[in-house]
Amino acid sequence: MIKQWLVATALAASVVGGATASDSPYLTGREQLMMLADNNPAELTEWRGEDLFHEPRGPKNVSLEQCDFGLGPGVLEGAYVQMPRYFEDTGRVMDLESRLIHCMKTLQGFTEEDDPIARKHSSDTREADLTALYTYIAAQSNGMAWDPPMDHPMERLTRDAGEVLFYRRAGNMDFGCVSCHSEPRKRIRLSFLPVVSHQEEWSKAVSWPAYRIGHGVVRSSQHRVRGCYYQMRQAGVKFGSDASIAILSYWTDQARGGEATLPDLKR
Amino acid sequence: MTNKTRHVTYMGLALSAGLLAGCVQVGEQSDDEPDLTEMSAEEYAEYLIFESNSFKLDQEVQEGGTARERMQQDELQRLCSDTRNRPHGEVANRIVAMARESFEYPEGGIQLGDWEKGAELARSGYGYRIGHNYDNPERTVGGNCYACHQMDPEELAYGNIGPSLSNYGELRGNTEAVRRFVYEMIYNPHAYFPCTAMPRMGHNGFLEQESISHIMAYLLDPESPVNARKVDPDVEMDPASAPAGDTGF
Repeated sequence: MIKQWLVATALAASVVGGATASDSPYLTGREQLMMLADNNPAELTEWRGEDLFHEPRGPKNVSLEQCDFGLGPGVLEGAYVQMPRYFEDTGRVMDLESRLIHCMKTLQGFTEEDDPIARKHSSDTREADLTALYTYIAAQSNGMAWDPPMDHPMERLTRDAGEVLFYRRAGNMDFGCVSCHSEPRKRIRLSFLPVVSHQEEWSKAVSWPAYRIGHGVVRSSQHRVRGCYYQMRQAGVKFGSDASIAILSYWTDQARGGEATLPDLKR
Repeated sequence: MTNKTRHVTYMGLALSAGLLAGCVQVGEQSDDEPDLTEMSAEEYAEYLIFESNSFKLDQEVQEGGTARERMQQDELQRLCSDTRNRPHGEVANRIVAMARESFEYPEGGIQLGDWEKGAELARSGYGYRIGHNYDNPERTVGGNCYACHQMDPEELAYGNIGPSLSNYGELRGNTEAVRRFVYEMIYNPHAYFPCTAMPRMGHNGFLEQESISHIMAYLLDPESPVNARKVDPDVEMDPASAPAGDTGF
């Protein structure tokens, strides 16, 4: 019954959305993901993030409502799909997570050591505030097209360097991002891998935050980048570092025009 | 070589900027730093890795030294990155020649070990991971073969980045020529497939000689489930219907 429904949905999607949808194993290969797609536990995280965003917090006891994510103070709609971007006030290309930390420091007065900033990722027992805030803000771009700005020279250089990093093989397993994300229909064990050149797959793949069923919590793009460098046996990449943002810049640019699913549900 | 030269240039740039600014703030750029927009994408990428405090470069690693050395490319890695794994003509010849020169064979010839140990090693992806977690150097390093290859036809959780190796020994036998080819493929596969995605398990010191002999037994021993099971090759198994295993990825 469910299978028939899935097949019907897939067929309908391929008719409506074009020819590519149904033949991507990354997008359709996991039935349990498709069945859960309408019941994403990340919504709970998003709601908590909404409360945290509007609540006066930190030593300065102010909310994040005046934080500028690139489209002006407090403008959240469409902000995330237009990141990473260059910010004049910091002189850096920043992703959403590092921009959030910047605002939590400058507006609210939190320091690097305070738990809302220090706790970068969620655990079984405690969800990181940062993840909740990130999920809420990202969700305000749900369904929009990825569209990172490339006006500033540092935005372009960051993306181009991210591309070099993507293809750069190193470490004692000789891996680079390219090792897993260049050929269609490939798997590691049972996990289908998204391909950077396949816009539909890739725009779904870079749709972080996502509730990861295998982890039982919501994960971020920074968490994904860290996991890839770890598996590649290369050096640990630091949270919010310029190299991590270069990777994000390249991968978001590769998804340009594709639809963002925010928050997403992943295996 | 060019990498080294570049690297030195950045150190110089970063140093002079550091002196001017007094102290270079982590992750924050100031006007005193070198003009990054003057750099090419390749130069900026190297700067990001080695000079921007983006990676935990000082972490000690089990092969000796630090994570910094892991990030430095050798010639093979550089050639494959630059050609995006599609080397042509002389570059491909160079890669094949380097790989052939890299072969080191076990004393006493290439022997098959214990396929049961090989089965465990083929499934294990443990070893050499660093960063936020650290693989225990005391534990045996796995070959992680199933991440990319089908082997035992009854194991459903196999990847497909590499070709299926099911019935490998059954199809090819266990002659000295076959053993030598399999050993060399594990040791440094670029001798046969320049810029393949497969790691140089032997050349990089990832797998010990003994582990290679066990994995080879798993592939070639007639008793190994890789060869002893008969599966109808026309019936394709559906990996999506199998239970999910935690691959760690």
